[in-house]
Amino acid sequence: MIEFRSACVVAPDTGVPILQPTTLTLEEQRVSIIGANGSGKSTLARLINGLALPVEGQVLVDGLDTRKHGSRVRRRVGFLFTDPSSQLIMPTAIEDVMLSLRRTIHSKSERLTAALEALDDIGLQGKANVSVNALSGGQRQLLALAGVLSTTPSVVVADEPTTLLDLRWKAHVGALLHALPVQLIEVTHDLESAARAQRTLVVDDGAVVFDGNPVDAVAHYRELMYRKSVGERA
Amino acid sequence: MNVLGSFRPGGSPLHRLPAWAKVLLLAVWAIVAVIFSDPVTSAGMALAAIMLLISVLPAWKPTLKGMAFIVVVAALAGVYQVYRGDYSSAIDIAADLIGLFALSLAVTSSTPMGDMLDLATAGARPFRRIVPPAIPGLMFSIMLRAIPEVATIMRQSREAARARGVNRSIRALMIPTATRTVGFALDLGAALHARGIGDEAAPDAPAVPRSRSTRRSRTSR
Repeated sequence: MIEFRSACVVAPDTGVPILQPTTLTLEEQRVSIIGANGSGKSTLARLINGLALPVEGQVLVDGLDTRKHGSRVRRRVGFLFTDPSSQLIMPTAIEDVMLSLRRTIHSKSERLTAALEALDDIGLQGKANVSVNALSGGQRQLLALAGVLSTTPSVVVADEPTTLLDLRWKAHVGALLHALPVQLIEVTHDLESAARAQRTLVVDDGAVVFDGNPVDAVAHYRELMYRKSVGERA
Repeated sequence: MNVLGSFRPGGSPLHRLPAWAKVLLLAVWAIVAVIFSDPVTSAGMALAAIMLLISVLPAWKPTLKGMAFIVVVAALAGVYQVYRGDYSSAIDIAADLIGLFALSLAVTSSTPMGDMLDLATAGARPFRRIVPPAIPGLMFSIMLRAIPEVATIMRQSREAARARGVNRSIRALMIPTATRTVGFALDLGAALHARGIGDEAAPDAPAVPRSRSTRRSRTSR
């Protein structure tokens, strides 16, 4: 369970609010977050695993404060970035997955076996020793996901995981994410994917402006964007 | 030359040798090559190193490219010695360079990065009071990972400058390359935190100090 208790974030040098004090409890297995570029939705997502910390208020995951128990929270919350290139740390696929397993599996041979299984599960069999740079964008995102899942998190936060992918990979990665046996918080511009959630948050100008049914949320977001574009023209 | 992903799986004797033995071999080889300065020993060792390199069946294209580069360097060094009239030194130096380079390629082609990392981690263990043992190995692999990434950023910056008609400006190339490299480093840092890597160093510390975390979110929201 994820709880926001009047958590807010401001830009340190200018004091401009990035996220207004937000209070939320996320219990649904599938939550999507939509909103315009720069609306604060990534910050909202980053608050969940302590990559961003609230200036005031608290964010709790299963009762653990992200500020006090950062690494314990991150053990529960896997985070998938938009650009897998910056998420992948090791030069080859197998080594990157093994890096995630370092903390949990101490025996090297067991770690190798577990990493090979993780690659098989995600559909990257035969790519174990391929350089990360030689993988396609979609394959890299799969590898990043394998790295995240191999630490067996109970929550996965995905920050626009399919934005850089073509249609085929978008469908594939999207389906994989939605089939995971974890709580999934997906920040996305893909409104079809957003509508597959059980609950959708619409973020605008640093505030959650709609919270509820995905279909209504998408309609609200479309209306909001339409009004803004008309307003600019006038 | 691409040092990344140069590992090729295989079953050669060098593949089966543990990483520490290979690194030791490389060190001993280098010392012997420097101590013995007769051309016959050097040429023999160079030949042996090349045969070892062939035995691991490395990726041909980057290996040949790398070897071509070192042959040019060796030839230049040799020509200089010949110019000084020291034929024996010319052969010795050129052969030593080629031999050592071939052997180091053979070692990197037959050793997975993870093994090297474990070795670096083990090597750093005596200093664990100063640096957590996992950190030096991690730093090393991040460095390797960053090389092609920075090269990509540089190529994109060059293309962007060219697209806007700025062909020869060093500033138009270097400034975006530098700033975007810093951006990549921040992203990589966020990824390290998100995956809980390096947490052993400071258990339960916040991911980022307060001011930096908020600045980071501002740039990426």
